Amino acid sequence: MQLFAGSATRAATRAVAVGTGKTLRTVSRRLGRGGGTTMPGHLAGRIDPGLLAGLAAGLPNGCVLVTGTNGKTTTTRIMADAARRAGLAVITNPEGSNLLNGIATALLVHTDHLGRLRVPDSAIGVFEVDEGALGPAIEALHPRLVVITNLFRDQLDRYFEVDFVATLWQRSLRRLPASATLVLNADDPQVAYLGSDVAAKVLYFGLEDRHWAKPALEHAADSRRCPKCRHDLLYELSFYAHLGHYACKECGWRRPDPRFAAWQVELDALRGSRSQVTTPAGDRTYEVPLAGLYNACNALAAAAGASCLGVEPDLVQAGAQDATGAFGRLERVVSGGREAVILLVKNPSGFNEALRLVLSGGEPRWLLLSLNDNQPDGRDVSWIWDVDFETCAGQTAFCAVAGLRAQDLALRLKYAGLAGETGQMLVEPDVVRAFDEAIARTPAGETLYVLATYTSMWALRRELVRRGTVAPFWRQARAGQPARTGQPARSGQPARAEAGPEAGRAGSR
Amino acid sequence: MKLVLGYLYPSVMSQYGDIGNVRTVIMRCRWRGIDVQVQNLELGCAVDPDGIDMFLVGGGADSHQRLVYEDLLKVKGEGIRTAIRDGAAAFAVCAGYQLWGHYYRTASGEELPGLGIFDAHTVHRAAQTGTRLDTITSAGSVRSVGNLIVQWRGNVLAGFENHGGRTYLHGGAEPFGVVLSGGGNNSEDGLEGCVWHNAIGTYLHGPAFPKNPVLVDYLIGKALARRYGKVELEPLDDELELAAHHRALIRARERPQRWRRLLGQGVA
Repeated sequence: MQLFAGSATRAATRAVAVGTGKTLRTVSRRLGRGGGTTMPGHLAGRIDPGLLAGLAAGLPNGCVLVTGTNGKTTTTRIMADAARRAGLAVITNPEGSNLLNGIATALLVHTDHLGRLRVPDSAIGVFEVDEGALGPAIEALHPRLVVITNLFRDQLDRYFEVDFVATLWQRSLRRLPASATLVLNADDPQVAYLGSDVAAKVLYFGLEDRHWAKPALEHAADSRRCPKCRHDLLYELSFYAHLGHYACKECGWRRPDPRFAAWQVELDALRGSRSQVTTPAGDRTYEVPLAGLYNACNALAAAAGASCLGVEPDLVQAGAQDATGAFGRLERVVSGGREAVILLVKNPSGFNEALRLVLSGGEPRWLLLSLNDNQPDGRDVSWIWDVDFETCAGQTAFCAVAGLRAQDLALRLKYAGLAGETGQMLVEPDVVRAFDEAIARTPAGETLYVLATYTSMWALRRELVRRGTVAPFWRQARAGQPARTGQPARSGQPARAEAGPEAGRAGSR
Repeated sequence: MKLVLGYLYPSVMSQYGDIGNVRTVIMRCRWRGIDVQVQNLELGCAVDPDGIDMFLVGGGADSHQRLVYEDLLKVKGEGIRTAIRDGAAAFAVCAGYQLWGHYYRTASGEELPGLGIFDAHTVHRAAQTGTRLDTITSAGSVRSVGNLIVQWRGNVLAGFENHGGRTYLHGGAEPFGVVLSGGGNNSEDGLEGCVWHNAIGTYLHGPAFPKNPVLVDYLIGKALARRYGKVELEPLDDELELAAHHRALIRARERPQRWRRLLGQGVA
């Protein structure tokens, strides 16, 4: 009797929690207060703490977690798309709300009013998870697969130390059962090392194309020590940041051989990449319409992850081909007849890659850089000194700096040799005003490149939405059913995007 | 004129944009026609006390400190101490500052002996309270993280602190400054950093030099004075430097409440 009463109470609590969450979500969207992508899950979770674990347990095909400093949104998207093509009903948090309450919200959408998950037998969860939330997410969701893209210096005011994040991950991953699979980046020593001493099966992916190796490690490289014995790692190849082919000269630990290996990667400037990839199922070609070596790596991670779900590599190729820029990832907008490309930057390695992309081609560029120091951006702005702005010197036709810490950026650029005295730098803290000014100064036929941190990009985007230049994020993709646009967003055509920071996103992914 | 900058453990102890301090010394000297030569003092490199005019060491995690402390004591200690006693300038930040004191007790309770240049010792807050660092929240609860504003010789310095260690000055130690906003040495006595001769130990990241030109010029002056006698440094146009400094002071006063409330949720 007692037991019955207990379970009846639990069921009632769940129903109230789910009802509250669903109502809040509807109201939030009606009021245009954002997508309601995390608050419903948050509130429902407060009413019923077991909600997330309870709902996740009802997923017939379990769930997948994707984490890492950079690339988790893109990797999640490609994987979810491929899984969908393979006939799975994918539930995901495409709006980038990557804390537990964001995942809970994504699941809430699929419940009935008694709080029971109502999904087809083919349902599976593919969720992006904030680095700091991986442990609790594993505990609540018991994932069958965890994909880790990389680990860079990011928001030290929130994560404190790169090593600390790696230690937390290691502890959580060791709790995964032997039935689970771990997909890891072989090129990142700290991530690759997570594969030692775990019960779960491990599958590595990595780059084998020597063509993209650079002679020396960049300053932003975080991990140059052997994760096993702490001695120097010897790099035979270095791709970007601390990613490369390495071995420890002391203990002999070395980069594991990847089963998913990209042995030839061709990059087409800002348009995308084409990779020849060896997979356990044979060789494949992956074309990704997202620029940069890092996006080729994201597709590789997604391919490895999808293979663990039994998804055919050809379906991954189809998914990758349709990948569109996530919020602020190479989003193209047209304003006043001129084109701007928006890139989200959030940490030194990502900023370096964005600069490399923008400056590839060697012609002078029109730039708008915007730095905020709100919590989602990281309150500590010291990281801009780990970015190699020195590469911009002599390559900027015009540069505007904006954001709550525009002055810090201006100072950084001065010490990088882009002094104000040449008259090519504009300091305007208001990102919208800076954008208008910068795009007005960009000649017809040229492109303005906007590199901004999370909340300043969000502020700019909100204004562009108001003007009708881009569509609001919640119209572009609905939880669990992202729109398929079929090709990268072009001028005037809305790109898919994620929740604004008002939705409670933690990392500025 | 020439200034030789000894940059300690650049590949290990440069986790928080500390390279910015190096770039700042180089540029501010170059603009005045002073040559700067940077010597990277990695693990295993000894220190020639007559050869280095200014030492810089930045921040790192407990694991990084564990990696370098022995080398600091056995390979470099005597050279650094001799140079500083002789008037060389130094700027040791965070983990670097901690290892230049008598000892640092890490979060796990391990005691790492330090150089003893600063008459101070440091204990990680987690070791003081017995806190287990098994989540981001627990780690955050024992750290001093935020904008740090310090009064130093009639100047206001702006930076950012991010440390778990609490540093306590001993009887004869001279503090570097007084905390105007933030935690400083230990969040208890209102003091920040430590000074011995021309060596400054501090929790000011940021990095500190770019937006505190008065501080970096002071140390450049001290470093050159040892070799060339008193040097008048040519004034520079510091408009951008002071604008960034001013902005940092404003941001230190504004509490980012809304973001914190929304973003604290869900991170265990």
